Amino acid sequence: MKSRIPHFSLLTVAAAAMTFAASPAWAQLKLGFNVPLTGFAAADGKSSLEGAKLAVEQANAKGGVAGQKIELVVYDDQATPKEAVPSATKMVEKDQVIAAVSGSYSGSTRAAAVIFQRAQVPYVVAYAIHPDITLAGDYMFRVSAMGEVQGRGGAKLAQNLGKKKVVLVTLKNDFGQALAAGFKEAAPKLGINIINEYEYGMPDRQFGPLVSKIKSDNPDVIYASGYFFTAGPLVSQLRAAGVTAPIIGQEGYDSDKFIEIAGPASEGTYITTSLDRDSDAPATKAFLADYRKATNSGADMVAAASFTATAVAIEGLKKTGGKGGAALRDAIAAGSYDMPIGKLEFNDLHEVKKDIQVQIVKDKTFRRHSVISDPVLLAPPTKAK
Amino acid sequence: MLAIELIAQGLIQGSIYALVALGLTLVYGLLRILHVAHAALFTLGGYVGVMVCNASGNLAVGFFCAALVSGVGGVVMFRLAYQPLLSQPPYVALIASIGLFIASEEAFRIIFGAQGMSFTNPSLEQQFVLGGGLQFKLAELLVMLSTATIIGVLAWLQSRTRVGIACQATVSDPQMAQSFGISLRQVRDINFFVGSALAGFAGVWVALLNNLVEPTMGSVPSYKALAIIVLGGLGSVPGTLAAALLLGVIEAFGTIYLGDILDRNAIAFAFLIAVLMVRPQGLFARS
Amino acid sequence: MPAADPEVQTMNYEISLLTTMAIAVMFALSLNLITGFCGQISLGHATFQGVGAYTAAMLGKAGLPFLATLPMAMVLAGLLGVVVGLASLRVRADFLAITTMGVGFLFVGIVRQQEFLGGELGISSIPDHGLGRVGFMALALVMCIGVAALSMYIKRSWMGRVFNGIAEDEDTMRVLGIDVPRYKLAAFAMGTALAGMSGAFYTYHLNFIGAESFGFVESITVLSMVVFGGIGSVPGVIIAAALLSVLPAWFQVIGDYKLLVYGGLLFLMMRFSPNGMAGLAQHVASTKWFPTGGRS
Repeated sequence: MKSRIPHFSLLTVAAAAMTFAASPAWAQLKLGFNVPLTGFAAADGKSSLEGAKLAVEQANAKGGVAGQKIELVVYDDQATPKEAVPSATKMVEKDQVIAAVSGSYSGSTRAAAVIFQRAQVPYVVAYAIHPDITLAGDYMFRVSAMGEVQGRGGAKLAQNLGKKKVVLVTLKNDFGQALAAGFKEAAPKLGINIINEYEYGMPDRQFGPLVSKIKSDNPDVIYASGYFFTAGPLVSQLRAAGVTAPIIGQEGYDSDKFIEIAGPASEGTYITTSLDRDSDAPATKAFLADYRKATNSGADMVAAASFTATAVAIEGLKKTGGKGGAALRDAIAAGSYDMPIGKLEFNDLHEVKKDIQVQIVKDKTFRRHSVISDPVLLAPPTKAK
Repeated sequence: MLAIELIAQGLIQGSIYALVALGLTLVYGLLRILHVAHAALFTLGGYVGVMVCNASGNLAVGFFCAALVSGVGGVVMFRLAYQPLLSQPPYVALIASIGLFIASEEAFRIIFGAQGMSFTNPSLEQQFVLGGGLQFKLAELLVMLSTATIIGVLAWLQSRTRVGIACQATVSDPQMAQSFGISLRQVRDINFFVGSALAGFAGVWVALLNNLVEPTMGSVPSYKALAIIVLGGLGSVPGTLAAALLLGVIEAFGTIYLGDILDRNAIAFAFLIAVLMVRPQGLFARS
Repeated sequence: MPAADPEVQTMNYEISLLTTMAIAVMFALSLNLITGFCGQISLGHATFQGVGAYTAAMLGKAGLPFLATLPMAMVLAGLLGVVVGLASLRVRADFLAITTMGVGFLFVGIVRQQEFLGGELGISSIPDHGLGRVGFMALALVMCIGVAALSMYIKRSWMGRVFNGIAEDEDTMRVLGIDVPRYKLAAFAMGTALAGMSGAFYTYHLNFIGAESFGFVESITVLSMVVFGGIGSVPGVIIAAALLSVLPAWFQVIGDYKLLVYGGLLFLMMRFSPNGMAGLAQHVASTKWFPTGGRS
């Protein structure tokens, strides 16, 4: 689906046809964007697209890059590798994108990463957390903390809350499993005892048996991975059954829809995420306000991460004056960014080092609870590994 | 006690399955069609229920409208899609149904958005403590109760009223029934209406239990219900009920104790395949 | 300024599309053998593609060259096919459809839980096939043509007639003394083995497989391709599979509506031309070219 910046699209077609032409004054810088607009991940895809569009609109409003406007070339990959591969191929060959952003899940992003790496097109990943993505090569960048890192952060939060006995509820996909892996890795070192782990699938919304079992386990705290459409029902059902132990979620919960679905049951839920609603940081405040103005709804983590990834790519382009390739890669890698999800810098594997924001649901909104800042514990993997 | 809780949870889930599967078995018994698009009426009911309840503030009205709209939707589906295909081999209706289902899921997504809808004032949330650590939401208790009631009423209607007997006759032997003056078209319309209304009704229950309706909420019921009607013996109302409840309980225990080896769907279908290998006609097949 | 590096406008995208088409056609034709020729409705055919795909992936990562994985993929898929085929002997028609659906869910459910098969994360970094893009596409096309030729041959042979008979009226065939179970199993074995082959190609085409790529949706999709093309019709299935497999790519323009259109197309085709595209073609042929009565 081509982005809706209509009166440029005719020019785009002409520009694409002229492969070797010198840059005409009205040429566009094309930024590829793969996102699930249909299929099971469409809910996140919508947020992601809004975040990315906002970043592009803001950049264009400030004059674009080197006198050229940025065009977001959007492809619906349905969050499957089968659609992501032809989309990425097309972006590289037909659209000749100068950089690309992933607004999609890990499976599709990983498949697309191989293609962008081969074509030497920098690919900035918003929220897909699979380790193999950055291992695909040096043209890959990720602006979110990896699953394992977040999982370790979750364990630290449990320790900070003074809890010892944990039950893990893990979503059966790479996201959930990476989180669980990180948690399990850090738990013993932090004196946390995992008494049980349960798994559930993406389509599950009714957790009756799970809830009963957890109740009988009687943990101090529950570490549950999921997205708002699974976490909302889960948290609601846990509280309805009389389970009072605090629940720690992650950025998958990070959406106003979670609070809407779970209602009063959501009060007191902790999440480890990158978006601090109470942040004093100008970048965050501005983003939250702008997003609400543009879309009439609250921003969530997916939107914030997609905005960030897009903005990072654009900043790199500004530095290279619109050139791509190795120059763009190096410009992005060297940069220091002030983004809604925090101050970012990339390590040698192009992962970010940053703190983890802990938010808690209070009075029907996410409020800041604390920040987990433990460089050793939260260190992302490096090339050495 | 945990086992009792698990059984109870299984029965709750099973009740929902039963409501959806009933409609499917009524259609299958009549027309031998695997009506996959039935699940779209489940989703439709959910959306209508939530919207009407949010607009009017009255849940009962929401339930009523959902059942009505879904019922009518079902009849429309029958007239538009299946009636013209009655003389075709069964896979034609199956693929047509699949196409219809995909299109409707997408329509829901395009019209109502991918992120789903919730009740502005969720109700039936009150807790009922039944001792022994058993605690239920009112909604959970009611879903079981209403399912039992409805099925009871349906079974009574089927065997005691003219209409019901006409339906039964039509299932057993359409030609004979027709020669006795039974209007096949009327019977079919009624079956589709009732079955689809039940699905819509179930949709509202699920919306209440999860406080969420989504465009894809029909995906799982679409194929689970198929498994259930086969398990129960195609066309048998008591069979479907038993199979649905049994499956609910099996899933409840399976997801907890077998979760490491198989996922929820795999457990359900492993059970189905095991049963079919032993009793190829289903658990409670009619002759 | 257009591209990142002044790469010549390559045809990689077209090559990739053609390869995808070839794999889809292979896959659809393999189902056509079972469902189209022999009348056994399978709602779990993607399982066999999955078996072939995982076999090829595991062997490939263990060091075997691509071409060596092909036969193994076919054998394993075919073996599982025979097992499922045996199940089909116990149940009939609609029950079979649902049993095969169950097999599909079992496959996905089991594979997802096994770490050695990649679990939720799937298998990635599959070694290159070493044939180059064009070479791989050419091989896929050749095998695809081979499957089509095989299908046509079977259709016209004695076996094909028996299959047809079983599809139309199984009981009569039994009465005639035909060993119906043996023929059904043969259809399953061949169809699933060929699906396994398409799976091996799939693995090397995408370099990455996950259990969710071989689930219920994929089984439904390939069945739709067969029925849309015209169940039993080899040219119909080829065209339908080729078109429908790259539909999402072509329909990027209508992006948001493409699945809606896909569903609508399926429904409309069944509603107005239950014999699929082959039926449409026949209809057009008989009315347009032979106005004074042709074949019905």
